[in-house]
Amino acid sequence: MIKFLNPSYVFKISGKLLNLFKTILIPLVIIGLVFSLFLSPEDYIQGDSVRIMYIHVPAAWISLFSFAAISFFCILNFLFKLKNVTLIYKSLAPIGLTFNIVAVVTGSLWGQPTWGTWWAWDARLTSMLVLMFFYIAFIFSYKFVSNPDRSIKACTLISVLGLINIVIIKYSVEWWSTLHQPASISLTNETTVHFSMLIPLGLMVFALFMYVAVIFLMKYRIETIRIKKKGIKNYEL
Amino acid sequence: MNFEIFVMNGFGIYVWSSFAFTFLVCLFLFLRTKKTLKKLEKEFVKEAHNLSEDRLKEVKKQKIAKEILISHSRS
Repeated sequence: MIKFLNPSYVFKISGKLLNLFKTILIPLVIIGLVFSLFLSPEDYIQGDSVRIMYIHVPAAWISLFSFAAISFFCILNFLFKLKNVTLIYKSLAPIGLTFNIVAVVTGSLWGQPTWGTWWAWDARLTSMLVLMFFYIAFIFSYKFVSNPDRSIKACTLISVLGLINIVIIKYSVEWWSTLHQPASISLTNETTVHFSMLIPLGLMVFALFMYVAVIFLMKYRIETIRIKKKGIKNYEL
Repeated sequence: MNFEIFVMNGFGIYVWSSFAFTFLVCLFLFLRTKKTLKKLEKEFVKEAHNLSEDRLKEVKKQKIAKEILISHSRS
């Protein structure tokens, strides 16, 4: 476990994993796209518009999962002051924001043919929009707060408040009457999505998580090199 | 040519727009991240080679610095 917190070990492994994930990514995306655009059946109510689900659902999951992970690492950093953890959440935040935007835009494109509107101020949609503002505030707090201690405090505060919003997003469709449908895929209850649609969905989830891993490792290397560059400048003095 | 694949019973515009938007956003993020990584690696190597020989040896003793120099020379 300690090995995985050692920056030099993580940096070395990140290079190897990056090459492996890049090799797997393109075939995986192609297979996922073929299944989701051409091979999967249309929905008996929503017709072909259901294909948007294969992008929208993984994007929303990545966005929520990233913020939950960011909150976990922020709390960990706040309590134990682990430098490596800072690199992890700095690398994750732009990815989470990107997929949050993708989820909102594709949700809007799905909403028009199914609900007859691009946007509604219902609980699920609004809480997803609020998450976007949490991401922006979080990124600003580590980019523009120069004092490291204050930056860590600001990041932790925003991530903890954002975590409450994650819970609201999850249960918004149960607590309020919303245009958005309740969860179709559940670990505890019965999954209402047919197997023929679960395969392309699973493939796209896997492909997009692989893409996230590639970007995350690249960003992790960027943040590490930035720190090392400062170290070299100290050698010059 | 079967245009039904693209039209998708009138839903094509929404479906293709969603996939195209996601693809472009992902491509932009990938290219921008890759460019930044290459630029930083290049700058790091340049700064390392501007050091005196003794200091460069010291830098090369650090595992991460060594890894950056190796990965840059490979690419």
